[in-house]
Amino acid sequence: MVITHDPEPDVFTAISHPARRRMLDLLRESDRSVNAIAGQFEMSRPAVSQHLRILLDAGLVTEQRHGRERHYHLVATRLGAVRDWLANYDRFWDDRLERLQMLLSKKSKS
Amino acid sequence: MTNTIQKEVLIPQPPEQVWLALTNSAALAEWMFPNDFAPQIGHHFTFQVPANPKADFEGLTVQCEVLECDPPNLLAFSWSAGGLVDTRVSFRLEAVSEGTRLHFEHAGFDLSQPWGTQALRGAEFGWAKMLGQLPAVVSGLAASRK
Repeated sequence: MVITHDPEPDVFTAISHPARRRMLDLLRESDRSVNAIAGQFEMSRPAVSQHLRILLDAGLVTEQRHGRERHYHLVATRLGAVRDWLANYDRFWDDRLERLQMLLSKKSKS
Repeated sequence: MTNTIQKEVLIPQPPEQVWLALTNSAALAEWMFPNDFAPQIGHHFTFQVPANPKADFEGLTVQCEVLECDPPNLLAFSWSAGGLVDTRVSFRLEAVSEGTRLHFEHAGFDLSQPWGTQALRGAEFGWAKMLGQLPAVVSGLAASRK
């Protein structure tokens, strides 16, 4: 049974925490159970679950029940927004630096 | 995917003059945003990205801290806003015969793996939304200054 959650557009909050980024890295290799994920972290099991919950709510992972275990699966397409967003930053700085150059050329003329 | 944005700009001005544009709060406001910058390591400041109701953008505050300030060679500050936490923006000024080569870097996007190929539609996020509307924001700024 696959449990999906309505993806909240909160991918960025979700990836803002280093532990959650590491969880995504782990899931990039393969699907993993909560226990397998928790085994990679020093933090308590409830803390791991809480992070996974945030990833679930952001639509970055899905959860699948295998008997008594839950397995997590990375939804890589959700990260497309992040890539787009970085490209936006790139444009942003192009624009700012252009403004800086304009400002400086104006100053040298005056 | 790269996790660092790097740019080089050649400016026909000596580093001292470029340094002023980078570190004088009023000048910084002209090409960046209104701010309370001070050229002092450890100084906390913000950039206030103004709201633009036309673009349905409610404004944004960028939280920064001066990390390095070595006139007229190196300026670096942290940058936290719109989903970024403690990224690092730096400007390194290199004196060259034509003036100054400005080495710009925005580092600390801790996203070094290739992501999925399908991009999500819609720029729901504050910063992306603002960037999409940047021309409007910028021209709004220019107009308000006149």
